[in-house]
Amino acid sequence: MTAATVQRARPSGFRISKRVLPYLLSLPALLVCIGILIPFLTSVVYSFQRYRLSQPWARQFNWGDNYISFFTDPKFWNTLQVSLLYAGITVVLELLLGLAIAMLLQKRSTLNNFISIMLLMPLMTAPALAALMWKLMTNPGFGVLSYLASLIGLQDFRWASSPSTALLTVVLVDIWVYTPFIMILLLAGLRSLPTQPFEAAALDGVPRSFVFFRITLPMLMPYILTATLFRLLDSIQQFDIIYAMTQGGPGDTLTVFQVEAYLNFFQSTNVGRSAALMIILWAITYFLSNIFIKNWLRLRERARGQA
Amino acid sequence: MASLELKNVVKRYKSQTVLDDLSLTVADGETLVLFGPSGAGKTVLLRLVAGVIDPDEGKILIGGEDMTDVDAEFRGVGMAFQNFALFPHMTAFDNIASPLEARHSSKGVIKAGVESVAKLLKIDHVLSHKPRALSNGQKQRTALARALIGSPPLLLLDDPLRNVDAKLRFEMRLELPRLLHDRGATVIYVTQDYKEAMALGNRIAVMSQGVIRQLGTPEQIYREPANIEIARLFGDPTINLLDVKPARDAKGIYVGLSNVQVHLAGAFEAAVGRDCVIGLRPEALSFVGEATPGAFPVTVEAETPLNEKIVTLVRTVRGREILVSRPAGAPGQAEGKAHIAVDSKSALLFDHASGERIGANKVVNLRSGEAA
Amino acid sequence: MEHTSLLERILRGIALTLVVIFFMFPIVWIFMMSFQTNETILRIPPQLVFEPTLANYTALITGKLMTAAGTLDIAFMRNLWNSVFLSVTSVAVALLLGVPAAYAFARHKFRGSEDIAFTLLSFRFAPALLVLLPLTLYFQKLGLANTYFGLIWVYQLICLPLILWIVRGYFEDIPADIEYAYRIGGHSWFATFRKIALPLAGPGIAAAGLLAFIFAWNNFVFALVLASADKQPVTVGALAFITSSGIQYGQISAAIVLSITPTLALALYAQRYLVEGLSLGAVKG
Repeated sequence: MTAATVQRARPSGFRISKRVLPYLLSLPALLVCIGILIPFLTSVVYSFQRYRLSQPWARQFNWGDNYISFFTDPKFWNTLQVSLLYAGITVVLELLLGLAIAMLLQKRSTLNNFISIMLLMPLMTAPALAALMWKLMTNPGFGVLSYLASLIGLQDFRWASSPSTALLTVVLVDIWVYTPFIMILLLAGLRSLPTQPFEAAALDGVPRSFVFFRITLPMLMPYILTATLFRLLDSIQQFDIIYAMTQGGPGDTLTVFQVEAYLNFFQSTNVGRSAALMIILWAITYFLSNIFIKNWLRLRERARGQA
Repeated sequence: MASLELKNVVKRYKSQTVLDDLSLTVADGETLVLFGPSGAGKTVLLRLVAGVIDPDEGKILIGGEDMTDVDAEFRGVGMAFQNFALFPHMTAFDNIASPLEARHSSKGVIKAGVESVAKLLKIDHVLSHKPRALSNGQKQRTALARALIGSPPLLLLDDPLRNVDAKLRFEMRLELPRLLHDRGATVIYVTQDYKEAMALGNRIAVMSQGVIRQLGTPEQIYREPANIEIARLFGDPTINLLDVKPARDAKGIYVGLSNVQVHLAGAFEAAVGRDCVIGLRPEALSFVGEATPGAFPVTVEAETPLNEKIVTLVRTVRGREILVSRPAGAPGQAEGKAHIAVDSKSALLFDHASGERIGANKVVNLRSGEAA
Repeated sequence: MEHTSLLERILRGIALTLVVIFFMFPIVWIFMMSFQTNETILRIPPQLVFEPTLANYTALITGKLMTAAGTLDIAFMRNLWNSVFLSVTSVAVALLLGVPAAYAFARHKFRGSEDIAFTLLSFRFAPALLVLLPLTLYFQKLGLANTYFGLIWVYQLICLPLILWIVRGYFEDIPADIEYAYRIGGHSWFATFRKIALPLAGPGIAAAGLLAFIFAWNNFVFALVLASADKQPVTVGALAFITSSGIQYGQISAAIVLSITPTLALALYAQRYLVEGLSLGAVKG
């Protein structure tokens, strides 16, 4: 009892109130992030301004002009089209390929685990460096892929330097880098599925296509959705691969949102237009990420419930 | 020194009220059992006392001192958790030693303290193991040792026997009362097992939905349950509950059982003419000869041994089922027709609509053996 | 499930082989190129068998490239150092800031904590240039342009949300009772954080740190916008190298190999945490 009395004698000294503590702990992180929120707001302001770095004296609010001009601007429609096309193609192809590979590797075996670890390597390669690697491989002079293309009759296949194949080439790099992402997510999903429905279906002699479409796919759907939205969010903002590979070219073949905004800012020094482009992209990603976060939280709850 | 007092404590989670204006006083050295179904608010109450969660309203006094705003580490209580809550990355020794380390005790003091409490709880041979290498029983004892080591004047035990096997639970139920008594500490003990509650508590507080429904000695709870719900929770086999409508004649108040007028001894005037439920403990019923006053006819259906008792299922003339228990070894009853009589003093009457008990029986004796 | 025919097994084998070739070939090829002289590289058809040379690596490491035309300075080691410094420091800062915040978010459901956590998470999904472009203008005014300090600050955009969300999940997985038990034993919240929460979340913190490192290392656009040559990491440096040096393909390959090796090595080392980390714990089970 004396011990307890001694204990109680201490509270007055150095104490932080329970209520303040959580704020205190998260404050430094928040401060750093607020420093990042300010430029975000600045972007909103810029997007309503006529603002060119080359003509700072002419800077003034033009309100919606930047946005309105987009309607009649073929360059903007090109940007929107290329961005959506790029995101759509990469996500669909990566999803199909990733699902196929995940199913090939589903069974736990030393070889399968080894392969799935190896497939992590492209994902861990910086996308910009991956683009450079593919640039070297598709070099018309000595690139091994150009050589292989010539073997199957595609003489002088131009890869990223030709407008007709540039999109295909960057999509290929994107697939190389990001398919493993979808693959490992779906593999984790596949391996976490309960086995009973599959055993029951096998016992009943249910056709495998039926099992796939009616059991596997629906049960995997939360994982597929998470992976898809995750990728969609990244893909519609792709910059690294495209910029490192072609700087948006040839011409404006690959001027997706972020590349176009970058070029507008640094080459045309048109800050207003650049900011407006980013706000539109942000609106798209905000919409997607809201769907994503909801779905993701549900999945997390589910995973937690199982654990 | 370490009495505990809760004054009008309210705790809400979001819109749900978990503890509703709860007041409670526990005397120094007393063992109070908090009994009730899960979700009744027992664990929340313990945590409020320990100081790891804060009440929305009300005060908590330990040893007469207001501790409502005092952090857990300064309250000087010991607590054992239902899920043990051992530190998985520390050995059993370090687990038990942690409260002493907080006081900056010397190495020697810590070593001596841990070893003596470990010896008391018979875990001195596993002190170097980490929790995952301990059996459930050893984990439970480690958790208990950690709660006891600082000789806290107030001990909070949150259903410590819940997650251990039946054999160990039985052993500990015998061992714990002495252990707690020897310490002289004030104890709050949470359980969902009525036998544990009866065996350990000086008093029992029966909780449900954040409110203390009844507070009393084990005998009071057993013999004078405040309502049907509590009557049902205590006792194994559970109390027989039959719908009756008491009436009065020259000999007093009676109820109809198997078309026989069975007279009750008790202050049941208020019950006359009302829809009631009569509560008959299985051990308050016994097989008797037909001629015994108040005996009513039944059909014996089945007999089941249950621990130290034998339970007989009988059916009344009107088809209602009743359980009768007798100590093992007492002469049995052949199947077929029989008569049973009620120990009229122990019959309980409840209002049918509200479930509240009617009138007041006299508490017979102090602690009687069959209660437990 | 087990009635796999021989044909099916052969098809599966072929499919897996193709998959492995497609995903491994570029890495193997760049690795091989890095040990070849420019003459071998330029030979058509490409050579599978060649005499390996370390010349490309020596040129990078010494920073001097001897060519027929004279000596060319290569600043690549500087880029490599920048990458190491920026990534390590950014992760250290992010851990220092992020771990206590993650603990606060996990343990204390204080007012607005969910909103703040979501706002931080949404940084992960916002377009980088949205913030970066105005930031270049601010940085010029503040004198932060082309400084390590400024870059490390901006790198928190990548590292902090990652660490916050992954580590928060690990803290949430520690049963609150364990921490309660320690506090009731007489320890302060800080002692509880240090002696209970940190050790138990240790593997998660390490994994989050590794992942943040990989993401920081692989980042391209931040440094492209905010850093000039002497502060650039390898991702930007390699691109500059390829445009400036023209045909030094052997050295370029060696530079790429040096640039991707650290992340690949870390990835292989920590692969079992990667799934969880990459999906921000979404598939934790």
